[in-house]
Amino acid sequence: MSAVIRTVNLVKIYQSGGVPVTAVDGVDLHVGAGEFVAVMGPSGSGKSTLVHMLGGLDARTSGEIWLDGKRVDTLSESAWALLRRDKVGFVFQFFNLVANMTVADNVELPALLSGATPKQARERREYLLDALGLTERAEAPPAQLAGGEQQRVALARALANEPSLLLADEPTGNLDSRNTRDVLRLLGEVHKKGQTIIMVTHDARVASLADRVVSLLDGQIVDDGVIPVTRRRPKAGAGDVVELRS
Amino acid sequence: MSALRASGRWIRADLRARRGQALLTVLAVAGIVTALITSATLLEDNTNPWRGLFTQTDGAHVWISAQGPLDPAPLAALSGVTGVAGPYRSAPVTLTENGRRTPVALRGLPAAPPEVAHPVVLEGRWLDLADLDGVVVERSFAQAAGLRLGSPFQVTALNGTRHMLAVAGIAETAEQGFYPEWTPGLAWVLPETLDRIEPAIGRSQSVIGLRLADAEATRLVVQGAVTLLDERIQRIYTWREVRASMELDNRLLGLLLALFGAVGLAAAALAIVNAVGARVLTQSRDFATLKSLGLTRRQITGMLLVEHGSLGLLGVAAGLLCGQLVTGLALNGGAGPPLSFVPAAAITTGTALVVLVAVWLPAWRGGRTPPIPATPAAPPRGHLSRLARLAFVVRLPPALVLGARDAFTRRVPAMLTTFGVAIPMMMITIGLGCWATLDNFLAHPEQVGQAAALQVGPGRLPSSEAERLINADPDVAAVYPGTEVDALEPEQTRTVLARAVGTSARPYPFVVVEGRPYADRGEAVAGQGLLDLLDLKIGDRVRVTVGGTPLILRIVGRVVEPDQDGEVISFGLDSLAAKDAMPPEFYSLVLRPGVDPEAARARLLAASNQDLEVRRVVNPAERLAVIRVVIVALSVVLALIGLANLLTASAVGLRDHALDLAVLKAMGLTPRQVTATLVTGTGVLVVIGVVAGTLAGASMAGGLIDLQGYTSGVGAGIGRTPSALTLAVVMLLAVGAALLVALIPARRAARARVPVTAR
Repeated sequence: MSAVIRTVNLVKIYQSGGVPVTAVDGVDLHVGAGEFVAVMGPSGSGKSTLVHMLGGLDARTSGEIWLDGKRVDTLSESAWALLRRDKVGFVFQFFNLVANMTVADNVELPALLSGATPKQARERREYLLDALGLTERAEAPPAQLAGGEQQRVALARALANEPSLLLADEPTGNLDSRNTRDVLRLLGEVHKKGQTIIMVTHDARVASLADRVVSLLDGQIVDDGVIPVTRRRPKAGAGDVVELRS
Repeated sequence: MSALRASGRWIRADLRARRGQALLTVLAVAGIVTALITSATLLEDNTNPWRGLFTQTDGAHVWISAQGPLDPAPLAALSGVTGVAGPYRSAPVTLTENGRRTPVALRGLPAAPPEVAHPVVLEGRWLDLADLDGVVVERSFAQAAGLRLGSPFQVTALNGTRHMLAVAGIAETAEQGFYPEWTPGLAWVLPETLDRIEPAIGRSQSVIGLRLADAEATRLVVQGAVTLLDERIQRIYTWREVRASMELDNRLLGLLLALFGAVGLAAAALAIVNAVGARVLTQSRDFATLKSLGLTRRQITGMLLVEHGSLGLLGVAAGLLCGQLVTGLALNGGAGPPLSFVPAAAITTGTALVVLVAVWLPAWRGGRTPPIPATPAAPPRGHLSRLARLAFVVRLPPALVLGARDAFTRRVPAMLTTFGVAIPMMMITIGLGCWATLDNFLAHPEQVGQAAALQVGPGRLPSSEAERLINADPDVAAVYPGTEVDALEPEQTRTVLARAVGTSARPYPFVVVEGRPYADRGEAVAGQGLLDLLDLKIGDRVRVTVGGTPLILRIVGRVVEPDQDGEVISFGLDSLAAKDAMPPEFYSLVLRPGVDPEAARARLLAASNQDLEVRRVVNPAERLAVIRVVIVALSVVLALIGLANLLTASAVGLRDHALDLAVLKAMGLTPRQVTATLVTGTGVLVVIGVVAGTLAGASMAGGLIDLQGYTSGVGAGIGRTPSALTLAVVMLLAVGAALLVALIPARRAARARVPVTAR
């Protein structure tokens, strides 16, 4: 399986009031195409920092990051920005929609950035909003949308350019259970179509949707396990033992 | 290209979200550019009506008045002279109209307009042989005297005969300045009419105008003419004096506007830095999001530069248009040609550059926003200062203490806001200083050298009778006999006004700013303009020629001199040769305090059976009334700039404390107290700015106005600072308005349910 993203001994050290704090401590991660990886861990374990570094939002202290077979940790901030247009989509906990722009504009923005004509951008936006059931909210400002709707818009925006990698930082952290279910269902659908996803979460139920769970503690990977398909989708037969899921 | 489209969307959306602020930016910049363009137009020579008039009338560069008939041939033969106007006969007459008597120079011109210096008829028609009683009046004089086409024009000649003429036309000329700066008023009649009104050649003058090939050769030609005519010359003036007399008010206005415009530009730049900076701060999360979508640092900077810069540039463009419009309207209905290219281009590029630099700084900072959207741009935190603790201990209202502390959490914006309020306030105070100076001119004319409110000419009465009538009037506090003569300056190339008034023993109460009043024969005081013109200092001796008699005067003092650009020398009547001094031409009347000059004038006219010529002295403030309009307009622009700063400050304050609001409420502050906290946060800065600005303005106003007085020839010593009461009221108004403006968003914020989430 070819690696979409690969890190080698990735380290991030913050300076906090003159004291160095190690947020990510020698992470080696390998995510193949089409994988859905959940990064779990308690608060402060460095999972958000890791995802930010993978998307180039934060600079690494040392180590290597390879994206689609190219080394990217040495890129400048601007080069990262250009790379993100085509290869990386982000979904954040607080949605981060541009408040002044309509839903439609928010979704069209990445397409425009990557060089689509306004017509192409509009068509892509119409397709995505339709798929996410948001067509009639297209001209509304984000503030008028409910949290779940906002996150769906954010997801549409992240998927606008069909990125190689979708990074989701606690996408359900700010949602109620119904909306959480909706957003997770969407992520699952996207994943089924072959989208590579890395999702940060501290919620085990959310993580259980992924193919693979990576657990971080104090910046280090303490567990990296594939969730077997059979466990995820047990075929219920009469004589089966009922499995308890955590 | 792709980034352009995306940035375009963002800019459009952002502008739509803050129309009011965008409009404010455009208005403020437009106001400043308008002021600058107007000032440059006024300062530039070609708004001076003289230039247009001189070209239209094919004017003469030098005008000479001489005794008796003149032979034009030798003058025309002087090298450099290309054309001659006249000689025309000119007779002094008195225009009587509604009981008012005004001296007029009645000039005989032929029915066919001359080639050189032909007056341009604005209304009616030129002189016509078919209408011997027709008179054509110079425009500014007609306006001042209220003359219209067909108005009766009753003149009294020196011999006392009255003649009834009628205004047949109103015309403009470049041969003398505008009335009442330039007296006497001018009217043209046919030579035949003039012969009928004033048959005695001896009581009239010959006036001749010389048109030169090179305007710069004026001095040489004048010297030639002086050698030819020598003692017969009564008055010489050149195009320079005419031009200067026409431009006086424009210059003053232009300087005022330039000062306000330049400082206003600095204030506007500050406001823009502040506003864009605050906007960038409040939008830092959006920038982070945009970066996570793939906008680079440079693209974000560029986007901000385009958005905010284009608003400024729009303001510049609007200001250019407004400037043209205002100057067009102000200069007598669009008579003035527009500003020439170079200064207009300089102002445009200059202001555009200032705007772009002002925008670039915060835009650059915006571009450097880290792309991690989760990090809110939080204000720096700190402990409560000891002062604040103390304030709590002495039980000051907590809202006040918290608000005062909030005001300074962001140092740079706090400073920008303070300066942003202080600078407009300073300029408004200076404007009020100009206002107070004008008021002072009106209220205390004696402080600007106009102690006498009335000037009485004996008219047809013998001077003894006139003196008796004046002295009999109960409201007259003092009388100073006087005579105004034209004095040829030492090189005899031009005339200055020599005013003999009062006597050495009892000098006229001039306002002597330097030196002392004249106290002996041969001593004189002068205005700043004259000292500059002749390059004299106090203590110097100067030799002038009055009516052919040389007169040596020693300058002992400088006075505030509002007339003739300060180019006036004044001395006692006894310094003048008896033939020039007696009888006095006029009496300057100082009235008792509180007496209405108009009432005194009416009484004197009644007592003398209308035979005295009584006129009110024109106060310079009446001429400068338009300055008040300018001050009000500029104050509005400056207030807009201050307002922009204020809105910025309150927006940043709200943003920084949105989270704290929930905490404050949780701690038990009522919504009202929360509002008070927020209002205090901006209010403290406003109060500091207003107080500092007012103090700076008040300390500078007097000096600046004196500087202006010095350069305009009036002389230093006229500047006034606005009264303490005015300053207090203005400060209260400014602070009150500011608090009101801050109150609205603060109330809204305090009442809103504040969600406890990240920003």
